Amino acid sequence: MRSSGLFRALAGATVVAGLVGPAAAEPLLWGVRAEQLEYRVNPDDQLFAWEFDAFLGQDAWRVVWRSEAEYVIEDTAFERLENQLRLQTPISDFFDAVAGIRVDTPDGPNRVFGVLGVHGLAPQWFELDADLFIAEDPAVRLEGEYELLVTNRVTLIPNLEFDLPFTDDPERGISALGPRLETGARLSYDLVDRLISPYVGVNYERVFAGTADRARFEGEDVDGLFFVVGTRVMF
Amino acid sequence: MTDLRYLRRLAAAACIAASPALPISAMADATHGHGGTQTHDIGAPGSAAQAERTVEVLLYDNYYEPGAIEVKRGETLRFLVRNEGQLVHEFSIATPALHRAHREEMEMMVEHGVLHAFHIDREAAERMQTSMGHGMHDDPNSLLLEPGESGEVVWTFPLEGELAFACNVPGHYEAGMVGDIVLTD
Amino acid sequence: MTASSILRGGWLALGLSAALSGAASAGEYSLTVDRVTIDTGDFRKSGVGFNGSSPGPVLRFREGEEVTIEVTNNLSEPTSIHWHGLILPFRQDGVPGISYPGIGPGESFTYRFPIVQAGTYWFHSHSAFQEPDGAYGAIVIEPEEREPFRYDRDYVVQLTDAHPHSGSRIFRNLKMSSDYYNRKQRTLLDFFDDVDERGLDATVSDRMAWGEMRMMPTDIEDLQGFLPLINGKSPEGNWTALFTPGERVRLRFINASAMTYFDIRIPGLEMTVVQADGNNVRPVTVDELRIAVAEIYDVIVRPREDKAYTLFAESMGRTAYARGTLAPRPGMTADVPDLRADPLLTMADMGMAHGAHAGMETAGMAGATHTMPDGTVMDNAAMQGGRDHGAQDGMAMAKADPFYAAGSGLAPKAANGGKMLSYGDLKAQKPLYPHRPATREIELRLTGNMERYIWSVNGVKYADSEPIRLIYGERVRFKFVNETMMSHPMHLHGMWSILDNGSGQWNPIKHVVSVSPGTTVFMETEVDAPGQWAFHCHLAYHAEAGMFRKVVVEGGPSDERAALAAPAGG
Repeated sequence: MRSSGLFRALAGATVVAGLVGPAAAEPLLWGVRAEQLEYRVNPDDQLFAWEFDAFLGQDAWRVVWRSEAEYVIEDTAFERLENQLRLQTPISDFFDAVAGIRVDTPDGPNRVFGVLGVHGLAPQWFELDADLFIAEDPAVRLEGEYELLVTNRVTLIPNLEFDLPFTDDPERGISALGPRLETGARLSYDLVDRLISPYVGVNYERVFAGTADRARFEGEDVDGLFFVVGTRVMF
Repeated sequence: MTDLRYLRRLAAAACIAASPALPISAMADATHGHGGTQTHDIGAPGSAAQAERTVEVLLYDNYYEPGAIEVKRGETLRFLVRNEGQLVHEFSIATPALHRAHREEMEMMVEHGVLHAFHIDREAAERMQTSMGHGMHDDPNSLLLEPGESGEVVWTFPLEGELAFACNVPGHYEAGMVGDIVLTD
Repeated sequence: MTASSILRGGWLALGLSAALSGAASAGEYSLTVDRVTIDTGDFRKSGVGFNGSSPGPVLRFREGEEVTIEVTNNLSEPTSIHWHGLILPFRQDGVPGISYPGIGPGESFTYRFPIVQAGTYWFHSHSAFQEPDGAYGAIVIEPEEREPFRYDRDYVVQLTDAHPHSGSRIFRNLKMSSDYYNRKQRTLLDFFDDVDERGLDATVSDRMAWGEMRMMPTDIEDLQGFLPLINGKSPEGNWTALFTPGERVRLRFINASAMTYFDIRIPGLEMTVVQADGNNVRPVTVDELRIAVAEIYDVIVRPREDKAYTLFAESMGRTAYARGTLAPRPGMTADVPDLRADPLLTMADMGMAHGAHAGMETAGMAGATHTMPDGTVMDNAAMQGGRDHGAQDGMAMAKADPFYAAGSGLAPKAANGGKMLSYGDLKAQKPLYPHRPATREIELRLTGNMERYIWSVNGVKYADSEPIRLIYGERVRFKFVNETMMSHPMHLHGMWSILDNGSGQWNPIKHVVSVSPGTTVFMETEVDAPGQWAFHCHLAYHAEAGMFRKVVVEGGPSDERAALAAPAGG
């Protein structure tokens, strides 16, 4: 049922709408939503970071390009750059099933993952992502975000991202079951509609267990607390 | 909420006025002299024998034919009134202030189930009469007619006054079911 | 809209009327569909208009004439014009994909149809988002017979909700984030206020209940941030209608908004409603009325004093207001009231109050007369009193408007504590059809997914739906069950919607029936128009998102009608 709807929708999407009535042919919708587009700074480091979704689709399906990155200014290099191409389709009123691929940069072996997950809005307004990354070095990731309206324009957004690798990936300093936790809180103000909402906040990242051991061995920090300034973008 | 005391007074006025010996004009002035509205003679019931002219008035939904009536000062007219509409309508001769008061009364009649869109419930009227001392108005200056009904009003007009004929069934007056009575020399 | 363009619109309308004087019973009109700049005073936007302006002209037809309207599309995209509320052959109805293919860019189409009714109506584009973008105008049809009411002058009062964003952008934003335009959400500060007022436990459990559903009690207007206009004029622009004290003035209220219901009042004046959706109703005098999107009410007011009166129309969600003035002389103004407190939806509006449906059924049977057995006067507004705020007050209401769920946070009250028009007050002045039992009932559940901004009927959106098939000559009883949290003004093209408000033979004849959240409303339709028709929620973005159906009327004299109505151009 679901898949036939998806097929129909995909087929329909290729048809150029002619002189047709309202809602007769569902238009293709698109949008861009950046939750983070920011400058991160602490006494040791300065980074650019982003996290955005750009989508194209209809009610029955969406193709989402999801990108997450941390760019170290001093090194003029990405510390992390992930791009995912995700196909989403509704499985309930509030949740979508996700399938896609994830490609990490910089290059190296085993930097391409299959993605299976769910994405949606849980009761009490928590926006959730749960993804399984399938590769030689598989991992799971849970992400949650909450928008606390202080006023109708000022929003406090706490978020949490939890990565759990299942295998060692020495090139990236990852140990099996050595998780990475990233959390933050951003206070934003809707400056122009919801198009541009600048914010300030903090971002904290920490690795645990074997991954933390590796970091210490390499002489790197196991955690980092950053002050962030940036803007949310939605259009 | 309608002022009940006021209504009773109005009802009393109408009852007394029904006796032909008493001119209604005096009562009308006495009872409606408040509210800052100008008061005038509305005239008095006449007898058919006195009538100098007969005017036919047709009641439609929600207007009159004719829409205005010219009357000589002090003239006695016989009105033959027929309801040609589908709704209950009234033909009532009074001043604007009296009409206004009468509309409140009519609203009460609707609320008491006396006055329906298409008929008049005489039994409910009696019950209203018993409970409030006033139910159906039997004023000589007005007729309340069901669709198809006709009636007669004989009226001696005053020398002076701001008079109109109107239907005070809720909504009808506001919709424009009112006509001027123009006093001429 | 600038003053000069309003004037221009007015002159165009006059010109059109003049064009009518040719043949005794044939009116010839021409309209162009143009890209226009709409200047509300607050913002300028590119929009769509008719004859170079938005709003378009007032088209004045005469009952009994046959009109010919040549429409030229000057846009670079397809367009169409739908004659809202007019009874006409389906090929003339102007819905692309249903009535005809539409009018391509640079092309013309000639509409030709007889005018078989009188009253106030409107017209608008039925293509894409041209109507929210400004492509609307008014229609006034002079009756053949005299009307059951009297007035000295009349004005069209066409309300709209002009938005700085284009319709397509609004739709995309709503699809991306359904609360994109909701700036009335409950905040942390509201939480603290509520804790103060109601205690922590009550407040938390209230928030949890709504959070569990992932719904918002403030979700009354999907679209906020609009500027209400009267005949193209902003509240600042102050559209003014002149009168001589003592005159009866007929105001033809048309809600041409894309998304906004309005509560209309004129402080200091009673309004006598004489027509609803173009059809005469038994006159009912009210202090205030709520007009759903695409509805029409004609009222008569009689300002007796030599002073200005404010015409005030608050949006149902209390986010904005339209304002105009009735005055003896130009330039006069009266006090402009403040917006009343924001309403909040209650669990009753979510359909959580079981028995809300039963309540409607009862109401439907009993009629809406306010007569109580013991003779007391039921004054809803006085009962409800106070602030609009939410369930607590609402629950206490002894007798509420039956067209709202019992305990609804949306049930309107007159600002002055007086009489608010209810659907229950509407009674046809003269039945259009003999009263007879419906031949069958069709249930239409009004459904949706707010989070995804998908709106549907019986859980199926238009793109995936089969047409509703009716048979010529039958009388169908539609049962609307609103399972969503929003009000839906349902509009059936081509045939009248006889709202069942318990008045039997005198049920009012409408073209839009608004169904409040958590209620069930019945309407009946005499299926007397062959062909195919649109049937949809008139909230522009709900219709676009799928709350839309094609209705196919099978049988009947379709051959003749189709031949008669064969597309003349386009």
